[in-house]
Amino acid sequence: MRRLHAMAAVLGLMTLALAGPALAHNISGKDAAFVASSAGAHIGPFLYLGAKHMVTGYDHLLFILGVVFFLYRLKHVALYVTMFSLGHSITLLAGVLGDIHVNAYLIDAIIGLSVAYKAFDNLDGFRTLFGVQPDTRLVVLVFGLFHGLGLATKLQELHLSHRGLLANLISFNVGVEIGQLIALSLMLGLMLMWRKARGFANQAVLANIVILTAGFVLMQYQLVGYFTHRGA
Amino acid sequence: MTDPIEGRTSQPPTRGRLLAIVGGGFAAAAAITVFAILPAEFHIDPTGVGTATGLMQLSAGPSAEAATPPAAAGGGAPAAARFYPATFRTDTIDIPLKGGGADGSELEYKVHMTAGQTLVYSWTVDAPKDEFYVDFHSEQRPSTKENVISHKKDIMTSDHGSLVAPFEGIHGWYLQNQAEKPVTVHLKIAGYYDLLPGGKP
Repeated sequence: MRRLHAMAAVLGLMTLALAGPALAHNISGKDAAFVASSAGAHIGPFLYLGAKHMVTGYDHLLFILGVVFFLYRLKHVALYVTMFSLGHSITLLAGVLGDIHVNAYLIDAIIGLSVAYKAFDNLDGFRTLFGVQPDTRLVVLVFGLFHGLGLATKLQELHLSHRGLLANLISFNVGVEIGQLIALSLMLGLMLMWRKARGFANQAVLANIVILTAGFVLMQYQLVGYFTHRGA
Repeated sequence: MTDPIEGRTSQPPTRGRLLAIVGGGFAAAAAITVFAILPAEFHIDPTGVGTATGLMQLSAGPSAEAATPPAAAGGGAPAAARFYPATFRTDTIDIPLKGGGADGSELEYKVHMTAGQTLVYSWTVDAPKDEFYVDFHSEQRPSTKENVISHKKDIMTSDHGSLVAPFEGIHGWYLQNQAEKPVTVHLKIAGYYDLLPGGKP
C-alpha cells in the first residue's frame, strides 16, 4: 500500500513536470479581458486571479516543491517560504508600480533555472562537486525576486488601468500568497505521507532528478522563445 | 533517517553519479525541447520528428477556421470582390462618454448587417493613452455566449479596419472610458449596413 502511494506520488510529479511546458502559463482568455477592462479597485477578482495564477503556475510550484522537499520542520518551511514571498512581493510591486519592463522570456528562463538549481542543491550537488554550500535562504530570496518579476511581466502584458492600480496589485499579491499557502499545504501533506514510505530516500533522489530535468526543459523552452520571439 | 540533513538529501549521489545526473537531465531536457517543444510550440522541426508525429500541426498558425474569411453568398471560395445592389452609405458619428466609473462612461455602438455585407471604419478618441478599452465584435440575436465573435479587444485610442459580416446580426464596438475626464469617440463608417434604431447614443 505504501509503495503504491510512493509510486503515485512519483508518477504525479512526472506528469506535472512533463505536462508543464505544454501549457502556456499566462493570464489569458476571459481573465485577461477582465483585467484589461477593469478600471478602479476590484479586490475580490484580483485576489482570485493571484491565487489562480499561483495554483496553476507549474514553474512557481516546482520551485516551491524543490524548496520544501527536504524540510522536516515547520519553522524551516515558514522561514524559506517567507524568504520566497518577500522576494517575489518586492519585485511584483516594484515592477508594476515602477513600470519596469523586463523581457518575459529571459525572466521565465531564469525561473526555470531556479527549479533546476534547487533540485541540484537538494541532491547536495554543491558540496559534492564544488565543496561549498551557498546560503539557501539568500538564494531563495534572490530567486524570489526573479519569480516576482515574472509575475509582474504577466500583469503588465494586460495593460492594467491606472485607476485602482495599487489596490488591485496588492489584492493580486495577497492572492498569490493565498494560492501559495493552498499549494504548499497540499505538497506538505503529500510529502509527509511519502516520507513515511519505505524507499523514500531513493525515490527522493529520483524525484529530484525529474525536477532538475523539468527545470532544464522550462529554461530551454523560454530561451528558444527569447531567440525566436514566437509561441507562448 | 535518524538525523536528516535539513534541506538536502540524506543520501547524496557520488561525484560521478551527480555529473551523470546533471548531464543526463540536461540532455533529456534538450531532447524534449528539440523533439517536442520546438515543433509543437515554435513550428521549428530540425529533426523531422515533428512532422512525423504531427506535432507541427499544433503550431501551424492561426486555426484554419479563424483564418478563413466567411464564404461569399452561395458558398464556394471567398470572394475578393463583392457586389451590392445599391450605393454604400457613410456615417460620421460622435459618441460622448462620461468620466470613468460614472454611468455613461461605457456603451455599445453597433450596426446591423446581413451575412457578407462589408464596412470600413476609422475611429479615434481624445482619451489618454492606456485609458480607453474597446471590444470590436459581432453577435447574433438573440445573443448567447456561443454566437458572439470578438474581432479585437484591447486598450487603444484609435483603430482603422474593415469587416465582412460573418453572419446576420449586430456588429460594432463596446467602448469604455477609463479616464477621469469625459471623452468623445469620433467614428467614421462606410459600407453596407443599417444603423440600429437607438444605435445612436
